[in-house]
Amino acid sequence: MNYILHLLVLLTIYLILSFSLNVLVGYTGLLSLAHAAFYGIGAYTSSLLMIKWKVSFPLALLAGVGMAVLLSLLVAAPSLRLKGDYFVLASLGFQVIVFNVLHNWATLTNGPLGIPGIPKPSIFGVKISSIPAFLAFSSILSACCIFILVGILKSPFGRTLKAIREDELATLALGKHITAFKIQAFVIACGIAAVAGSLYAWYVTFIDPTSFNLNESIFIIAVVLVGGSGNIKGPVVGTLFMILLPEILRFLRIPDTVAANARQMIYGALLIFLMRYRPQGIAGEYKFE
Amino acid sequence: MALELQSITKTFGGIVAVDDVSLTVSEGKITSLIGPNGAGKTTLFNLISGFLKPDKGAIYYNNHHRLDGLPPWKIARLGIGRLFQDVRVFDRLSVLDNVLLAENNPCENPFLSLLQRKKMRRLEKENIKEAGRWLEFVGLSDMRDTLAENLSYGQQKLLAIARLLMGRFDLFLLDEPTAGVNPTMVKPILGLIRRFSNEGKTVIVIEHNMMVVLEISDWVYFLDDGMVVSSGLPDDVLRDATVRKSYLGL
Repeated sequence: MNYILHLLVLLTIYLILSFSLNVLVGYTGLLSLAHAAFYGIGAYTSSLLMIKWKVSFPLALLAGVGMAVLLSLLVAAPSLRLKGDYFVLASLGFQVIVFNVLHNWATLTNGPLGIPGIPKPSIFGVKISSIPAFLAFSSILSACCIFILVGILKSPFGRTLKAIREDELATLALGKHITAFKIQAFVIACGIAAVAGSLYAWYVTFIDPTSFNLNESIFIIAVVLVGGSGNIKGPVVGTLFMILLPEILRFLRIPDTVAANARQMIYGALLIFLMRYRPQGIAGEYKFE
Repeated sequence: MALELQSITKTFGGIVAVDDVSLTVSEGKITSLIGPNGAGKTTLFNLISGFLKPDKGAIYYNNHHRLDGLPPWKIARLGIGRLFQDVRVFDRLSVLDNVLLAENNPCENPFLSLLQRKKMRRLEKENIKEAGRWLEFVGLSDMRDTLAENLSYGQQKLLAIARLLMGRFDLFLLDEPTAGVNPTMVKPILGLIRRFSNEGKTVIVIEHNMMVVLEISDWVYFLDDGMVVSSGLPDDVLRDATVRKSYLGL
């Protein structure tokens, strides 16, 4: 039972990540390879504040979001003036920098040893330590994030992002400052990813840089591309599929020694198959080009 | 003057696309740019709308706004709308959304759309009402929920015109508005262009169809090799020996 609840907690965390990346990939047509970096920035900021300065969890959460917003602004302002592939490379550069900072700034982040003993959040003095309680907590936080993102994407802002994705020149000719729109989309996506980071840190109570490396960024992109982007249901389907897939693979009775590698290979093969035969993903509306 | 180009030059590598062009466009009039392919007509549109920056010269809008150097979105916000030669509707957006996109209003602020939901919803409702009016005006109101990619080419042109109307522009740059459309669509499009002018809007049209040029233009500029070769009333320009020889092949 606990294992199912554990999977559900992971689902709530990855729903936040896939919905937030969908703002960039599906709505704005921007492929960011730095989503795990902002996920990590949220996790590290809130964890360090709670451990070193005993900051309460709501403030730590806000600080994580604030840090991600600030750093995303610094990344976005120069790199979103770049087009297409150059933005992808800029985001890759940021992902590599963040990983190296987390890995090497040992005095702050404890380097590769990671940060153990992250306190669970507590509400009115009651610690959210049991898995069912944490599931309720993460579900509420996840629902709030999705509510905010869906509200934004269904507004005229979301429509303009789609227009930018479709044709930047035509959007410019209508008087839209497309760089400003892209920056706002990037900042929103990164800020929300930081919420997922805090949730992950509180749930696992231990974080290290490998949880937020390039592989993780690629996994989040895979979730969005497999499920489909540019609409609301795509990320839901992608998250369910990619998080529950390992459980389905258990029935294949792959030996434990190769299970992890086999899983990666199956993900890869699945992506190749989808990009060839269903580029908009299982339930998406936008074919990423 | 609605628009004034002073000695505009634009080169691409060694090729002079626009060579010391000066021209003026009167307010509320329809001015046509004609000339063979490669004469520099679309390049002039790109320069006026900010997609290209001139190497030399200046562009003034309404006598005091200097356009050269401004980004395209700022030029659009000054009131200059553009119909592209290749239409450029947003294929995977609905017809209604395509028109609504011409509106630049606070609803597009993601934070306001969350914090002032009621106000934003009311504003959006008004915008949808106005967009519906323009769609009816161009005869596309029955297709408001259709994806733009499912419209015929002529319908896409009408949609692009509805989008311009929604944008409340004062000066329209229309690049071959009747090219590639069904002959039955030509008349409605010309009717719309005349209506722009009747409402005091300024129109600059690039057109290869001389019947259209004669029918709608108040003034014509003939360009060749990036230069203005002739200008005047439509009849006079089309009677010009150089124009007849080099463009019309007469």
